[in-house]
Parts: sequence; C-alpha cells; structure tokens
Amino acid sequence: MTPEERIKAVGLKAGARVVGIASVEAFRAKVPEGHRPEDMLPGARSVVVAGGDGPTAGAWRCPDHRVMEITGYDLRENVAVHVMADFIEATFAHQTIQAPSLAVHGHAPPMSMMHAAELAGLGSRSLAAHIILNPEYGLLYYAALITTLPLEPDPPLAEPACPHPGCTAMYKRIGTTPCLRVCPACLSGTVKDGRIESSTYDRECCHSRAQTYGIGSFQKSLLQIVNEDDAEKRRGMIYSDFFARSIQALGFFRDSIAQCFECMRVCPVGRKYRKLQ
Amino acid sequence: MPGLPPGATAALKSSAFQAGATVCGVASAAAFDAHAPAGHRPGDLLPGAASVVVVGGSQPRAGDWAATSPWVLQTMGTTERIQSVGRKLAQQIESQLGYYALYVPPGTASGDTPFLSLMLAAQLAGLGSRSLAGPVLNREHGFMYWSAVITTAPLETDTVEGESACPAPPCREMWERERTTPCLKTCPADDGGCLAGTLEHGRAVRTFYDAARCNTRVHTHWVGGFQKVLEETLNETDRDRRKMLLYGDFFTRTLWAITYSSTNIAQCFECMRVCPAAHGLKEMK
Repeated sequence: MTPEERIKAVGLKAGARVVGIASVEAFRAKVPEGHRPEDMLPGARSVVVAGGDGPTAGAWRCPDHRVMEITGYDLRENVAVHVMADFIEATFAHQTIQAPSLAVHGHAPPMSMMHAAELAGLGSRSLAAHIILNPEYGLLYYAALITTLPLEPDPPLAEPACPHPGCTAMYKRIGTTPCLRVCPACLSGTVKDGRIESSTYDRECCHSRAQTYGIGSFQKSLLQIVNEDDAEKRRGMIYSDFFARSIQALGFFRDSIAQCFECMRVCPVGRKYRKLQ
Repeated sequence: MPGLPPGATAALKSSAFQAGATVCGVASAAAFDAHAPAGHRPGDLLPGAASVVVVGGSQPRAGDWAATSPWVLQTMGTTERIQSVGRKLAQQIESQLGYYALYVPPGTASGDTPFLSLMLAAQLAGLGSRSLAGPVLNREHGFMYWSAVITTAPLETDTVEGESACPAPPCREMWERERTTPCLKTCPADDGGCLAGTLEHGRAVRTFYDAARCNTRVHTHWVGGFQKVLEETLNETDRDRRKMLLYGDFFTRTLWAITYSSTNIAQCFECMRVCPAAHGLKEMK
C-alpha cells in the first residue's frame, strides 16, 4: 500500500466516511494569506481531509423535528483526523496538526474546512447554502489535518455533485430546484446546461435558522436579560424554554449543532443511503 | 497478590496502551498520604482504595509545537482523549477484575483545587517529575495530559522516577551562561510573567509561581472569561456597550471554549513551547 492508501485506511477505520488529500499549493489560488495551511504549519506540504456522517437515515425519517435538532452531529471526522495525525507522526515522522476550524473572529475560522474538502476532491459547493455535497453520500461534515509529509493529492471532482440530474430536470420544468423551493428566504440561484450558473445565500438569515439554539441565541438572550429592568420578566426570560435550550445547546454542542436541515432534507444527492428497511 | 489473577497489572497496562495511552503507571494509594492534603487522597474518594492507575498521553503533537499560528494550540487541544482512556480502564477493572474503580473527575472540586492531583498521581506512578515551569514531564515523551483511576484492586505499583527530565542538558548550559532557563526567560516573574527559580546542583528549584496570573493567561477564554464579561456587562449602564461586550470576539470565543471545553481549554503554552524536555525525544521532519 502507498502512504496515501495507508493513511486513508486508518482514517476510514477510525470512522470517516471519506478521506481525500489536497496539496498546500492548491489553497493559494483562493485562500487569503494568513489562512493557508503553511500559515498554520511551516513547511506544510499536504492537507488530509476527512468527511463524517451527519444524521442517520432513521433521524431523517423521524416525524418529530426536535430529534434532528439535537442529534445532528457526532464529530467522528475529528476523531478520524486525530487518529490519522497520530499515525503520520508515529509512522512517517512528519509534523502534523489538526487544521484549526473553530471561529476566532466573527464567523471566520482560521481555515475553511469546506474549501479543504473541495480541494481534496471530496465534494463541491451546492445551491443549498453552498454546503459541500459529496457526490456519493451528499451532506457530510468535514475536518482536516495539515502535515509536512508530501502526499499525492486527489484531483478535484470532475463533475460537480450539485445540481443532481433530477434537480436539473426540475429546474427545466419549473425554474427551481428542491432546495431553492423549500427555502426561498435564504437561497437563490440559477441552473444552466446542468451546472450552477449563479448562487447566493443569505448567511445571516440561514445562521439564525440553522443555529436557532447555540452561542448566538445565548448571546441574544443574555443581552435581553441584562437589559430587562422588570425582575418578573427577567425571571421569565431566564427560565424560558428558549434560554434553557440555548444553554443546553452549549453543553451538548456536539449533538446539537444545527436546528434546520430543510434544504438538505429535500436534496437528492446521497439519498439512496437514507432509504433503509 | 490475593484476589488478583497473575499478570493483572500488565494486562491492564496493555489495555491502556491499546486504548491510546502513551504511558501507564500504578501508584500505591497510601503513597499520597505524605503529599496530598486530607480530603484529596484516594481513600477520601473511594473507601478502601489500594491503587491509583495513571495514564498519560494525548499531548500536543510535534506539529502543534511547530505551528506558527497561535490559533492551533489555542483551539485544537487534544487533552480529552486521555480522559476516555481513564474511563475505559475504570470500566475494565470493575467488569474484568471485580474491584471497585473510580475515574478521577478531571474538573475541580472547589476553586482551582482538583479532587485528586493528577500531576502528583503521575509522579507517584513513576511517569514523570515536576518541571521548573510546573507541569510534570515524562523523560521520554515530555509534556503530557493525565488521567487517573482509583481502585480497591491491589495492583503492582511502579517506583518513582529517580532522574527528572527537568532541567534538560541545554537548560543547564543556559543557566551556566545566563543564569536563566528557556521557561524562566519566556515568562519571568520579575517582568510581568509567572515563573521564577534557580538551578541548584543541577536540579530545578522553583522559587515563585504566580498561579492566578498564569490561570488568566492559560485560560483566557474559559469559565473565568465568562464570569469577567458577565460582571462587566451587568455593571455597564450603557446598552450599546453591553451589546458590544456580549457580541464581542472575546465573549464569543469564551462561549466557544465552554462549548468545546475539552479541545479549547488552554490558550497559553509558552513555557512548554520553549522547553527542550517537553516535546519528547523523537525527531520529526
């Protein structure tokens, strides 16, 4: 087995659904200075990206929307990245770090995991909030590692995962796609010759819906609470479901990262894996 | 040993390594009596405690130490992985050996005081010794994170390390030349830092450590940061300023640190970054 095959096998065994490799040079075209792999790790040569599953097929079928709101995510791609990073340092003696992806200013992460996934050939941007869709599995969550080990990169996708042929046909018929139709508030776009021609999405609108309960809602509630002079109203706000769920979302963040999945619910990419007995 | 099958300790250590521990040692519960205050000894947490199993690992990788972006270590710690090894061992001791086992909680019992000092446990289990900078360093692997299990099982104990990783030979040479060491130089107590110490007969002697100052730097974004901003917000009469405080990067990052508490727990590693003994002996490219 080649080093690339061995690393991927380790990642897949550790729980990743897919693993791909990008060269650090590939990031230079679109990534601003300060956010490239070599800005994180001097001498970086490769970025290995792991994609992990989101909700199970059963969770997608559940008629109670609250289930998906609190069981969206389990971070297995991060586990896979840690296991691969350990493997690379122990086996090949090359420096390796987990690519930092938690936001440090506003919504901006030090490194974009979505872009890393694209460059590693694991998916392409979609009309649905520009979420990266893997052509086989659809929605996946991504984490990455950066290493000084030179690895053969995977090519970007030859054919984009979005739009799906069914969506292209639907667009021809009625001028929209499943995702655009289900969320016209956040999404807009056009399809031409089977490709995305234009695509925009209202991130602020989407963020407040996708993450109804989380850091943003905690901050919003806390500001309202400290600004409230009436002790009774303040009490009501502190003990409200909204604030309680916001606190729970912080505590159980890994399981409770998103509350809206509607554009992905109607997306046909990877749907075959959601059809079970 | 009565009650324990032959090779039980070795088998337990083998399981620890398989689960991801880099090192594993066993201390006698009684060994804590001479060092730990009452209330923070193994027997205070588990009546009849006989042994303490300690695992170390999940330390920052060579790449983490080499990373030039401060965000890497600030937001991507790996400490939590050693805790899962501790939990696994506790379950194994109970299910396979039939003795009580208590996974030592990694949080604090009160203030900054832990239930049981994991650093003391690591020392008594022969896994490392205190450095001038504070953390326990393992001679082969350097700085590590620790997890411990208290058990009533009378396991075979390890001996305390005879020779310490700190001061490393380059630090001794630096001391001869400059009367300081890398850790003391990077965070000097007499110049706004946290550490002071000397080398006496080749051994490190820490003379001063500002724990409160160190805590505010290591845990910039953590429970203390949350409390600080909350107090400032409540004391702020201007509503626009309140909003800025709660939506500012500092408070937002503090909330991220709390939500990702095990991977985003520390923001300052400078004394360990410059320590020649902290990064282990293995050379990386």
